[in-house]
Amino acid sequence: MNRHKVMVVEDDAEIREALLEILEENGCDAVGAVNGERALAYLRSTDSLPCLILLDLMMPIMDGHAFREAQLQDPVLSRIPVVVVSAYRDVQTNAEKLNAATFIRKPPRIEELVSAIEQHC
Amino acid sequence: MNNCSAALGLTEGMGRLFRRLLPWPFEFQQLETTLSTARQPVQPSPESESKQEDAHEEGEERYGLIIQGVKDYAIFLVDAEGHIRTWNAGAEAIKGYTPREAIGRHISMFYTPEDQAAGRPARLFSTAAQEGRVEDEGWRVRKDGTRFWADVVITALRDKDGKLQGFSKVTRDLTARREAEEALRQSELRFRLLVQSVKEYAIFMLDPRGHVASWNAGAARIKGYAPEEIIGQHFSRFYPPEEATSGKCAWELEVALAEGRFEEEGWRVRKDGTRFWANVVIQPVRDSEGRHIGFAKVTRDLTERRKAEEERLRLAQAQEAVRLRDEFLSIASHELKTPLSAIQLQLQSLLHGAKDLEPKLRNKAERAFRGGERLTQLVEALLDVSRIATGRFSLTLETCDLGRTVEEVVERFREQASRDGCELTLRLEENVTGEWDRLRLEQVVTNLLSNALRYAAGTPVELAVRAEGDHAVLTVSDQGPGIPESEWERIFARFERAASMRHYGGMGLGLYVSRQIVEGHGGTISIEAVKPQGARFIVTLPRSPRKGAGPDASAEAEVAR
Repeated sequence: MNRHKVMVVEDDAEIREALLEILEENGCDAVGAVNGERALAYLRSTDSLPCLILLDLMMPIMDGHAFREAQLQDPVLSRIPVVVVSAYRDVQTNAEKLNAATFIRKPPRIEELVSAIEQHC
Repeated sequence: MNNCSAALGLTEGMGRLFRRLLPWPFEFQQLETTLSTARQPVQPSPESESKQEDAHEEGEERYGLIIQGVKDYAIFLVDAEGHIRTWNAGAEAIKGYTPREAIGRHISMFYTPEDQAAGRPARLFSTAAQEGRVEDEGWRVRKDGTRFWADVVITALRDKDGKLQGFSKVTRDLTARREAEEALRQSELRFRLLVQSVKEYAIFMLDPRGHVASWNAGAARIKGYAPEEIIGQHFSRFYPPEEATSGKCAWELEVALAEGRFEEEGWRVRKDGTRFWANVVIQPVRDSEGRHIGFAKVTRDLTERRKAEEERLRLAQAQEAVRLRDEFLSIASHELKTPLSAIQLQLQSLLHGAKDLEPKLRNKAERAFRGGERLTQLVEALLDVSRIATGRFSLTLETCDLGRTVEEVVERFREQASRDGCELTLRLEENVTGEWDRLRLEQVVTNLLSNALRYAAGTPVELAVRAEGDHAVLTVSDQGPGIPESEWERIFARFERAASMRHYGGMGLGLYVSRQIVEGHGGTISIEAVKPQGARFIVTLPRSPRKGAGPDASAEAEVAR
């Protein structure tokens, strides 16, 4: 099986590192970004786009909403599905507003992550 | 005028009378202009006729015309026996008789039957004859029988030898003035009664030096003194001792006098020594000629209002404190989730990544992860409580199957149930669907089930779902120690638990949040006892939000608190 490339956009280092490790352990190539701006910069410079983006909502500099807005305006990047990962209780509403593929509530369960990758990659 | 009087042969008294009665120059000019049209011959008395002199005829005629033309006063002459000899326009206007009807008749016809019976006419004329003049106020009778209030002046007319020739009679109709005076008197009486009876305000008068001169019901009520206890006392006794002796009272009166008004709010003292917060207005009172005769003082007891204001302030402060607490709760619980997420991810990574983990270590990692899950639930409950408190608690409605939801939750609890020694039984009807917030209902089921496992460990737990008309019913029954009926209401309140803190852990937020969720759907949650022992929680939910959650139920049903 091809290793899926998954991007994690998350400002909290502990969570980001843990997610990256878990994704690697579950057979993915994982790449992280500390905010939306860094994520966009990476996506616009890389040759191999990820098949899925795990997106936190509350981040400094460029938050999840702004990132998603910019992503959707980019014809190349807009095709990448996004899974919103948030501590917000109304993460579902937020995910719908952002036209995300699905959402995962923090703290995330590994089963949910794996299932999202299987479904969208 | 004196010349005229002399010319007419009238007595000095009569002259004075005319001077008093007639606005002379005005009436004279007015009459001059109407001389040609108003020539009513004066009916001269035979006695005075004999005394007329040719040189004075013109003056007499003019004077007669003046009297003749006066409309506001009945002015006429009567002979010594009381028979009418002349009749002017005023007499006709006031009494209603024409000259022809009046002249020759006796004066007593103007008096009321009672006065006639009492001999009043004769007495008045006798007094006039003896004293030269008499004035009387009383009822008189018009030709049509109606009465009017009259001011009457009767003057004796004597010839040069002092022999009584007759009387002049001048009558004014004072009915209108009497009515006005009566109305004023009534009005003043009513006003006095009004002031007297006002209970909300102390309204009283001070003399110019500040001694109490009047006292109303409000003053008695507010300050506690009866009128006889306080009238005559200086108003400084209403002030706290330190102010009563500081010259403040005198200063207040000075300000009122200089500026027309003094007003303040401050402490005042009742008879019993207690203090009250008062609004005080002092205004100088002057008589009709502008002389200062004292002060009006109006005092209101604002103690209750002041208390209410303080109460409102305290309430506002308390509400602000609650708002800050809820805001803090919201931020704090959100913040807690970040490190919690990192811990849970690492523990999961540990459990998933190393299949060959030493069993003892694995067991510890599993317990740590379960602890983390419980911590997550508590943080969620805290967040829910703060959302409910701030009215930001909302439901996202979608079609879901209550039986399926229960099954999913139960699956997650299988392991814990077997650890707790609880046999789980499901009695789920098929297709009990409705428009609900699926995740919130999961939360309710989770809460009820975890409560049952915790409080009724070691006994069977049954979960049942059935349809009842347009409602869905979920029950969670255990056979534990049960919940005393006296606790059934309290148990759903915020931060309350039926079990005592010593025996069970947990924060007791779950049932409160569950009730908010169920009621937000337009449903109910209740408890009943299970025989022979145990507790059953019953949740009913309307299957269609329109019937249960109100007319404005939409995808986002706000649960406001």
